[in-house]
Amino acid sequence: MNLMDRIRAVGGTGGSGRPAAGEASTDCRHFAVYREAEEFPGAWDLTAETLRLMSDREIPEELDPRKILYLDTETTGLGGSGTVAFLVGMGYLTDTGFEVHQFLMRDYPEEPFLLKHVAAGLGKFDVLCTFNGTTFDVPLLESRFLMNRMDRNCLEMPHLDLLHMCRRLWKLRLGRCNLGRLEEVILGKPRVDDLPGSEVPQRYFTYLKTKRMELLDDILRHNAQDIASLCVLLNHMADLYLHPEKIRFSEDVYSMGRALEKINHTEYARRCYRLARPGRMGASAGAALAMSYRRSGEREAAAEIWREMVRERKGGAEPYVELAKYEEHVRRNIPEALEWTEKALMLLSEPSLREGESVQETKNELQYRRQRLLRKLKER
Amino acid sequence: MNVSQLAEQLRRDHMFMKDVTRWEVLPARSARTAPFPAWLDPRLKPALEKRGIHELYIHQAQSLEATARGEDVTVVTPTASGKTMCYNLPVLSAILKNEDARALYLFPTKALSADQVSELYDMIEEMGVDIKTYTYDGDTPAAARKAVRQAGHIVVTNPDMLHSGILPHHTKWVKLFENLQYIVIDEIHTYRGVFGSNLANVLRRLLRLCEFYGSHPRFILCSATIANPAELAETLIGRPVTLVDENGAPMGEKHFVFYNPPVVNRQLGIRQGCIPVTRTISGMLLKNGIQAITFARSRLTVEVLTKYLKDLVRDPLGNAGKVRGYRGGYLPGERREIERGLRAGQVDAVVSTNALELGIDIGALDACVLCGYPGTIASAWQQAGRAGRRQGTSIVFFIASSAAIDQYIVNHPDYLLQKSPENALLNPDNLYILLSHFKCAAFELPFAKGDCFGNAPGTEELLTYLSEENILHEADGKYHWSAEDFPASEISLRSAASENFIIIDITDPARHRVVGEMDRFTAPMLLHENAIYMHEGRQYQVEKLDFDACKAYIRSVDVGYYTDADLNISLSLLDVEREEPFAGTAAAALGEIKVTALVTMFKKIRFDTHETLGFGHVRLPETDMHTTAMWWTLPDALAERMAGDRLKNGMMGIANLLRIVCPLYLMCAPQDVAVVYQVRSPITDKPTVIIYDNTPGGIGLAQKAFSMRDLLLEKALQVAEDCGCEHGCPSCTGPAGEIGEDGKRTAVRLLKELLK
Repeated sequence: MNLMDRIRAVGGTGGSGRPAAGEASTDCRHFAVYREAEEFPGAWDLTAETLRLMSDREIPEELDPRKILYLDTETTGLGGSGTVAFLVGMGYLTDTGFEVHQFLMRDYPEEPFLLKHVAAGLGKFDVLCTFNGTTFDVPLLESRFLMNRMDRNCLEMPHLDLLHMCRRLWKLRLGRCNLGRLEEVILGKPRVDDLPGSEVPQRYFTYLKTKRMELLDDILRHNAQDIASLCVLLNHMADLYLHPEKIRFSEDVYSMGRALEKINHTEYARRCYRLARPGRMGASAGAALAMSYRRSGEREAAAEIWREMVRERKGGAEPYVELAKYEEHVRRNIPEALEWTEKALMLLSEPSLREGESVQETKNELQYRRQRLLRKLKER
Repeated sequence: MNVSQLAEQLRRDHMFMKDVTRWEVLPARSARTAPFPAWLDPRLKPALEKRGIHELYIHQAQSLEATARGEDVTVVTPTASGKTMCYNLPVLSAILKNEDARALYLFPTKALSADQVSELYDMIEEMGVDIKTYTYDGDTPAAARKAVRQAGHIVVTNPDMLHSGILPHHTKWVKLFENLQYIVIDEIHTYRGVFGSNLANVLRRLLRLCEFYGSHPRFILCSATIANPAELAETLIGRPVTLVDENGAPMGEKHFVFYNPPVVNRQLGIRQGCIPVTRTISGMLLKNGIQAITFARSRLTVEVLTKYLKDLVRDPLGNAGKVRGYRGGYLPGERREIERGLRAGQVDAVVSTNALELGIDIGALDACVLCGYPGTIASAWQQAGRAGRRQGTSIVFFIASSAAIDQYIVNHPDYLLQKSPENALLNPDNLYILLSHFKCAAFELPFAKGDCFGNAPGTEELLTYLSEENILHEADGKYHWSAEDFPASEISLRSAASENFIIIDITDPARHRVVGEMDRFTAPMLLHENAIYMHEGRQYQVEKLDFDACKAYIRSVDVGYYTDADLNISLSLLDVEREEPFAGTAAAALGEIKVTALVTMFKKIRFDTHETLGFGHVRLPETDMHTTAMWWTLPDALAERMAGDRLKNGMMGIANLLRIVCPLYLMCAPQDVAVVYQVRSPITDKPTVIIYDNTPGGIGLAQKAFSMRDLLLEKALQVAEDCGCEHGCPSCTGPAGEIGEDGKRTAVRLLKELLK
């Protein structure tokens, strides 16, 4: 048996003949898509200040919204050095609308040309905006630059990853935050006839064999739509950050408060917590607000929130516990502290409350506190 | 009583000595040393001196010099001879001189890497320098991985992680690949067979990437004593190596006692079991306060012996804790504790599987008991090497079981004591293995027309095939990966066939758990429905075998029997590669065959008595395997002279003898080769004895058997002639009940004819 037959015997067969080699290329294929300005409400008014509310990335002082590059790649797989970005789409605002430029390699030899366009494109902008780009698109492009022995520095720029920003805002309410779901639920524009992302690699491989360009139409459309959505989504979020009172869901506005607090926008965060207090997340928002005051040393303001929560019967035993601490350590009013402690214990002894390990732990702590307070009372 | 006194006493004990087949005394050996080489970074010397090291043993010095000359080195080192110096010193020296330098350490197991890394840490701490040593394996937390990739000077990993975690993501490891100076591979003797063939291909991939990144790393390899360390190393790394095998470490006097338990039933040739004998001898050592390790072959035996020895010293003071068991399946923390206990002398006796055979540091002990032959000479010496301090006397007992191999060894002690005839074999060009790694390589970096893959043959054909299959896409003379798969996830380095069956325990309906894996060629034998599957001494029954999904579902049971499946094997010839006539019209040949296996039924066999309790049917599809084989055809004249069953019985006897001899001389596990005989073979149309490689594609065992074919027949004849039995027994040709009254005589006659 010759070697070829032996390889076929161990490997199994099932393929067809291979396609003829194409002519040598001098560039990759370029597509341009234009979108009308009204699709992107508010996009030209986006400022660095607003972006700084949304992300702790370093944003240039005088940001021109036209200097944000929206980028998305279509790839042959899920990662590893054998995965290639065969299509890279880059979109940006112009004076009059939104342009998407897509660079497609019609075959592997065109990859260096594609990467050259990407590098050139990136070089003209100040901020990069992607969806899951920190873990996927950027490392993948880095890998491709490296494999083609090209400079990777062009990728080093401030990067807004919308996936993470959206998760911070909507995960509590939506759970999974993929782009399709966000378009449907947040932007109210469900996609129709869209190619599922999982079918993209196989579609490209079929194209490679047949070189039938129309096979890629769906992918090109899908990619352009993704990029336009990035811009719409970013500006929609910016609008919400500036006007949290517009947010209809208590979960979302509470989540925004958490996101703002994480990057030290305390005042903005408190505003969100206050807005969230009447809703379903009222208890969490109240607690977060009070804790925020406590952290900045505004103990009385914190206590006032806890008292309000007691009046509203929100937050279970926590406000009582916190008030007990406040009376004991800040106001040094031992009888008052004892009263809050005993109220908390009473509340926790109600059978309606779910009994868990943490409840038991709280009870133990309260008992311990109660003993201490009684001792202090005696010592006086 | 110390070891010398005990040895003296035993030698005067006639009851003991009558079953000793050999008492060998290996003389003490003094240290041979050489000074530190001049090029060694000056910061290393004080650190070494603080650890009490003032000069090097000659093998360390020779290895360092060869490394300094830029050669790839293989150091053959017995246990406790300071082999880590051979690689740590050049590596540390290189990094001290150039902080960008990088090194990659490969160990076959995680436990071993943990041990060697702690020694490295100590050295680095002693010097107070900033050399970062990181372990990168499945346990490395995701958050720490980035630091390892960026900053690790020395990256310690295992072949599996290199294969699936590092190479396919090489662009994240730029620093390592661009600056890689040394690749250290320890315990290379463990890389034989399928595992070794896989590693050789992983290294081809690694070197290919190094070339892309412009680095030219050198290899430092360490091996235990085997016959062909240089050949093994050269096959693994695909280039010539400098062999350093002159051991300069000192060693005290060592007694090696071969003990064959007495025959208790002459008729059936049954001997006293080796477990009770081991219990007595290990117990004697324990009672005399001699620190000893006992090696047993199975995990079950380890547990049984541990219990026996614990019972012996059990008292209210908790002295049973001085006896410990040690095997795979113990938690890492527990293992470390036992290792520490051994070094500190708090543990007096340890009973272990071969898990403690590898270079884990437990210090040197006074005595070692081998309960049964571990399967290879290399293992036997590794295990025996656990006993033996640099000064003072040590003793090793080999207790033979009634297995044929054990009986051969105990009756031919020279086989073990003389220079090892074993070869570690691997075949990087096994097509199954090569093809799988070639795919990974193509994924990692596109091949260009005319590129090589190490020294692998057939690169062009492989590229053509993968293009035909649309796995690669050719454009402008380059072959690009064009499939969605992640090829590294399709291969497990420790077996050849890619699709393994997973074994799922469904005893607890709420918590199904995967307990093991099995390759697809063995699965029909051991995992057919209603088979009793044994795992960690526990019995399970196979409830369902989903052949298409490669899953077996098992449930815990407690029954008094085990099962044995009847495997119908049929062979067909694919190709004859070489044919050598000899002894008249007889011939020996080497070629490729197709082995078709079909399991149709199984027997239920009662434990202890081994009587058959019943039968069951198995309905499973056939499995095919392409592999290499060698065979002898008997001369026509000889065959014609033997009527009826005589020829068949004689050939069965030869096959049984070869089953004993082959694993010994091919240095493989018994299940790695198959020996079959066919009175009228479909391969040759003549009476034929066939040895084939039991791994898909073959790992070179058939080629090796072909090249040593006369030796194999000679050794088979020797086993038959040296055996004391008259009409055959399980230790030679098989018992008369199987091969007939005349079987042994016929087998001997046939062998003599063939060897004429």
